Amino acid sequence: MSDVSTVDASEQEARQSPSAVADGDERLAYRGVFTRLLVRPEIGATIAAMAIWVFFWAVSVPFGLASGAASVLDVASTLGIMAVAVSMLMIGGEFDLSSGAATGALGMITLLLVRDFTGEMGGAGFSLWIALPISFAFAIGLGWFNGTMVNRTSLPSFIVTLASFFILKGAKLGFSKLLVDQIQVGKMDDLALNADTRGGDKGYAFFQRLFAGEWVRNEHVWSGRDLLYTVATLAGICLIVLAVYEFRFARRQQMNAGGVIPFILGLAGLVAGQLYLHNTDDTTGNWIGSAIIAFSILLTGFGLALWRYEPLADRGSFNLDPSWLKWFGAGVAALVLSVIAARALDADNSDNIYLLFTEQGIRAILFISLAAAGAVMLLMAANIAGRSSQLMRSALLFDAAVATALMAFFIRSQSASPKFRSEVFSVMLVIAAVMVTWAAVTYIFRERREPDAQADAFAQRVLLVGMLSVIVGVGTRLLFTVQNEIDNGISRTVFSVRTLWFILFAAVCTWVLGRTPFGSWVFAVGGNKDAARQIGVPAGRTKTQLFMLVSVAAWLVGTLLAFRLNTIQASTGDGEEFEYIIAAVVGGTALTGGYGSTLGAAIGAVIMAMSFQGIPASRWNSDWRFVFLGVILLVAVIANNFIRSKAEASR
Amino acid sequence: MSESISESRSETPLLELDNIGKYYGNIIALTGVTTEVRAGEVTCVLGDNGAGKSTFIKILAGVHQHDEGTFKLEGDEVSFDSPRDALNRGIAAVYQDLAMVPLMSVWRNFFLGAEPRKGVWPLTWIDKGTAKRTAKEEMAKMGIDIRDTEQPVGTLSGGERQSVAIARAVYFGAKVLILDEPTSALGVKQSGVVLRYIVEAAKRGLGVIFITHNPAHAYPVGDRFLILNRGHSMGNFAKDEVSQSELTQLMAGGAELEQLQHELAAATGG
Amino acid sequence: MKNLKSLLALLFAIALLAAACGSDDDAASDDASADDAAEASDDSSDDDAASDDEADEGDDDAMADDEGEADVDLSQGGDLTFHMITHSEDGPFWSVVKKGMDAACEDVDVSCVWMPGNNDPTQMVTDIQTAIGEGSSGIAASLPSPDQLIPELQKAVAEGIPVYTLNSGANDYGTIGATTHVGQSEDVAGEGAGLRFNDLGATKVLCGRQEQSNVGLEERCNGLKATFDGEVVDEFVGLDADQTEQINGVKAILEADPDIDGFLGVGPVIAMSGLQAATDLGRDLHIGGFDMTPELLDAIEAGDIAFTVDQQQYLQGYLPIILMYLEVTNQNQAGGGLPILTGPGFVTPDNAAAVKELSAAGTR
Repeated sequence: MSDVSTVDASEQEARQSPSAVADGDERLAYRGVFTRLLVRPEIGATIAAMAIWVFFWAVSVPFGLASGAASVLDVASTLGIMAVAVSMLMIGGEFDLSSGAATGALGMITLLLVRDFTGEMGGAGFSLWIALPISFAFAIGLGWFNGTMVNRTSLPSFIVTLASFFILKGAKLGFSKLLVDQIQVGKMDDLALNADTRGGDKGYAFFQRLFAGEWVRNEHVWSGRDLLYTVATLAGICLIVLAVYEFRFARRQQMNAGGVIPFILGLAGLVAGQLYLHNTDDTTGNWIGSAIIAFSILLTGFGLALWRYEPLADRGSFNLDPSWLKWFGAGVAALVLSVIAARALDADNSDNIYLLFTEQGIRAILFISLAAAGAVMLLMAANIAGRSSQLMRSALLFDAAVATALMAFFIRSQSASPKFRSEVFSVMLVIAAVMVTWAAVTYIFRERREPDAQADAFAQRVLLVGMLSVIVGVGTRLLFTVQNEIDNGISRTVFSVRTLWFILFAAVCTWVLGRTPFGSWVFAVGGNKDAARQIGVPAGRTKTQLFMLVSVAAWLVGTLLAFRLNTIQASTGDGEEFEYIIAAVVGGTALTGGYGSTLGAAIGAVIMAMSFQGIPASRWNSDWRFVFLGVILLVAVIANNFIRSKAEASR
Repeated sequence: MSESISESRSETPLLELDNIGKYYGNIIALTGVTTEVRAGEVTCVLGDNGAGKSTFIKILAGVHQHDEGTFKLEGDEVSFDSPRDALNRGIAAVYQDLAMVPLMSVWRNFFLGAEPRKGVWPLTWIDKGTAKRTAKEEMAKMGIDIRDTEQPVGTLSGGERQSVAIARAVYFGAKVLILDEPTSALGVKQSGVVLRYIVEAAKRGLGVIFITHNPAHAYPVGDRFLILNRGHSMGNFAKDEVSQSELTQLMAGGAELEQLQHELAAATGG
Repeated sequence: MKNLKSLLALLFAIALLAAACGSDDDAASDDASADDAAEASDDSSDDDAASDDEADEGDDDAMADDEGEADVDLSQGGDLTFHMITHSEDGPFWSVVKKGMDAACEDVDVSCVWMPGNNDPTQMVTDIQTAIGEGSSGIAASLPSPDQLIPELQKAVAEGIPVYTLNSGANDYGTIGATTHVGQSEDVAGEGAGLRFNDLGATKVLCGRQEQSNVGLEERCNGLKATFDGEVVDEFVGLDADQTEQINGVKAILEADPDIDGFLGVGPVIAMSGLQAATDLGRDLHIGGFDMTPELLDAIEAGDIAFTVDQQQYLQGYLPIILMYLEVTNQNQAGGGLPILTGPGFVTPDNAAAVKELSAAGTR
């Protein structure tokens, strides 16, 4: 903090006189969109999530399928709803260790209330229309109790909610045994089964659809799926690239129509390449399709830049600056090591690289991590060198691209796995093409150094449309099936309404946190409680409401579980609270309060779900499961921290 | 800086304190304090550590209630129940910690607890555009150009943070602004910046109470000086009644310092 | 706020009343299950006079040397205190064990202390030390992690306290010097399951575990491997506390390995998770389970699950108390150095309905 203020002291001088800003060093004052984006707490988690998805996609076939995505989302949903609520509480500076046990407890209350007392044992026999509001009231009461205890006693919430945790854990066991004489309470679907003997299903059909509705993908056959998927994804990616260009480069005064032709040719090439790739299964087809796509990317990117952006006059010169040289050296070393590792461990050609602790598996892991580290270090070198010379930046980007392409070919020739040979090869080649394009465009066109409101607004809109387009494309791909796949016997893929609850809950919480006074107060109470109180924020009330939010989330999850599993075990949810906290922290929420993001927590939950799913899907030995989990979480958190500190340093 | 005694000077002082005292059990924290604060004037409260300055502020800001004497706000005798009460009556205190949340953006800090809203209850949300624009404008009125109101307050310099707190108090209708040691943690240059904001605030018709232990900071901006020492008032002067060196002397306990000077002179001379 | 409070109190009261009145018809069994150690010991001291007469015949001077200060208690059955130290109280399984223990303690009129260890060996070590310190008349312990627990139980044997192992520990009771082991030999149970899968015609079975590093669960899978003719995949797939994760864990493995056509869940909850996973994927699996819950029995009755291995755990709570009672009062040593097996029994669609009734009564 201290060095920040000294930096700012000098900056502030410049700001004192407005004229000094205008003709002073504009570079210092202009923070590009990407820098601003990088200080968002959830950005690290987003990048980590993408990396983990790609990683498991590369090593496991089922993980990358729609059914794999459905499974990940299913696990992420209940975890994520809680993680989002818990992250808000953590931003408010408190913890709730009873949140895990509360999910089971509140689900159990609902079940006890709807159980039929004329049946086996225990239960009130209420309709769901009555039972759900009552258990909801319990949730509110639980949150109110936790919040009030924390406020009144001024004890750390860790202690207070630990007590609540034990009370709930004990009460779940005690009451289920006392009332039902079992350590689980069931069954929700008895309501439907006994509907005719009791005159009506007491709202089961309605709430079952609401809380446990399922959408079987295989029933939705649509032959146009792949066309829409291809077009929407490609168009989306193009728009995102356009947005990135708009953010990055200075516009020409007069647009140059000459660039339009290569741009359109490139786009056409992209579509053609994609279709070609899609319609062929053999390795050669992949190769040719990838090559067409790679060339089209270069053409499109260059055409676009030629059309809209201003060429660069001074491109700088070669300079050997130790600050980038060390990264460059490390990057090259890592890449060389990765090749050596892959060669040295190529002992036998065992056909299954998915089993991690075969030599093939170790080789794959070593190779992937070293190669990724190498590529990242080369890019960092390019970034550092680029501050002084465009020429150097382009040259280094080009190096990274060449390295990536070499890796792609190396993988293709070495790997025994068809997955690696085909898909990973294509993807790496495309990445290399994007890098080459970027190197070329960076070398020729001028980067923006000042805010340009018009360009920024345009780029933001384009970015939004592009992202929506990609989401629609990917969504179509996940939600629809084609006859061809059914004939080939794909497994049944079920999407659940739980995922919609998760998305809805995360969206509402994100809106509340970012856009409402309550959200501001949450940050304030967690960031500096005394200050918030002095300025008139109702700190105690805010905290109590946060505890209520967590227990309402627990009620939602408990209800979802009750409808999904039909029974609630006495142990359901016990110990899960740490997973919620971990998901929130992985998503960039500070343990100390006052900083964080609900969106990040949602992504954190997806990261954890991907690890839970990816490990068995890759058929790795489950004995090592927690080692992987630990490593993945560590990597995610470190990446998050690293990106944030980089971003803050660049402020 | 004499122009700050301006036309906004009114007949009744904004605040009038007569023989105010405060006890904590049998400890006399403050006794016999008399001063006044007028609109458009800066009243400086000077005193060394433990002189009773913080007790004095807490009485004014409604954190504590006085035990003796009279406390008049615009002619009416008052005693505040809570800081909220004082704030509602137009007395805003800016404490040393500034009541800022470092990780929150400038505009959120500016409007914290009183966010401008849009929408229909119960579905209301922050009018972000208005909030950001207003924050920027208000800061500009104080002569500070905040480049981006989205940046966290923690990244601002100490002087800028002070100015955000002052601008916030002014914007939310403070008539009396209490500044608790705003310059104590700052370097020379930054202190100068803050002193300029103090004068700026007084110019806009506020009564400013500037608490400090540094006479060099107080004298150039103050119109009235209240000197505290160990809970007692050492005097209440208008600017023309006292010089900076006298202030220094009074602060340190007058006679004691004189004695010390004599002793030192004797030691060096003899 | 005041209004809110009273509203909440009212709601709470309503819900509790509503839930409680439904259980009236089972008040008797509720009371029995709610018996904890304290109540049990109160009961027994009330009945002191009666138990004196009963237990007098068990008076034994020979035991006095071994028992030290505890010898006074020997003449009075009602003053005997037996400790049952288990590694868990979670799951439907252990409530039946406890019920067996409670019934046995009532039948022979002794005090029993139920000490569940929450899957924490350190906790169990402490419990054993506590039991020895309290001058226990007999200790029955489960043995999920033998290495930590064997030395402690050996100390108890050295003190002259009768020691029995129950549930898990079939391989180690001899090392300890325990009189015998009451339980199901896990490998034998697993072997039984393997033979069932052979009969069902499965070719590749996933043996899903709900805990890691639980010897008993691994032995079940090993037993399966021993007798099953096809291939066995043995994995941990997620804790019972997060069943969503468990279901999807099974799904992931099933998807990654399309050859799997059988699933053995080595607990009742995980067996249901296996069924759910198979249903979600639309895969037709032969599913077997261990132990019982009402849902599992329903699923067996409906034919969705082929069988469950029932280790008749009621006996594991009941028998050790009776055996310890007889050893202390009558110097009987059952088993002849061999374990006393309580299972495996199998519940299949044929007998599911009958077992369901007994299970509802809480004794199966």
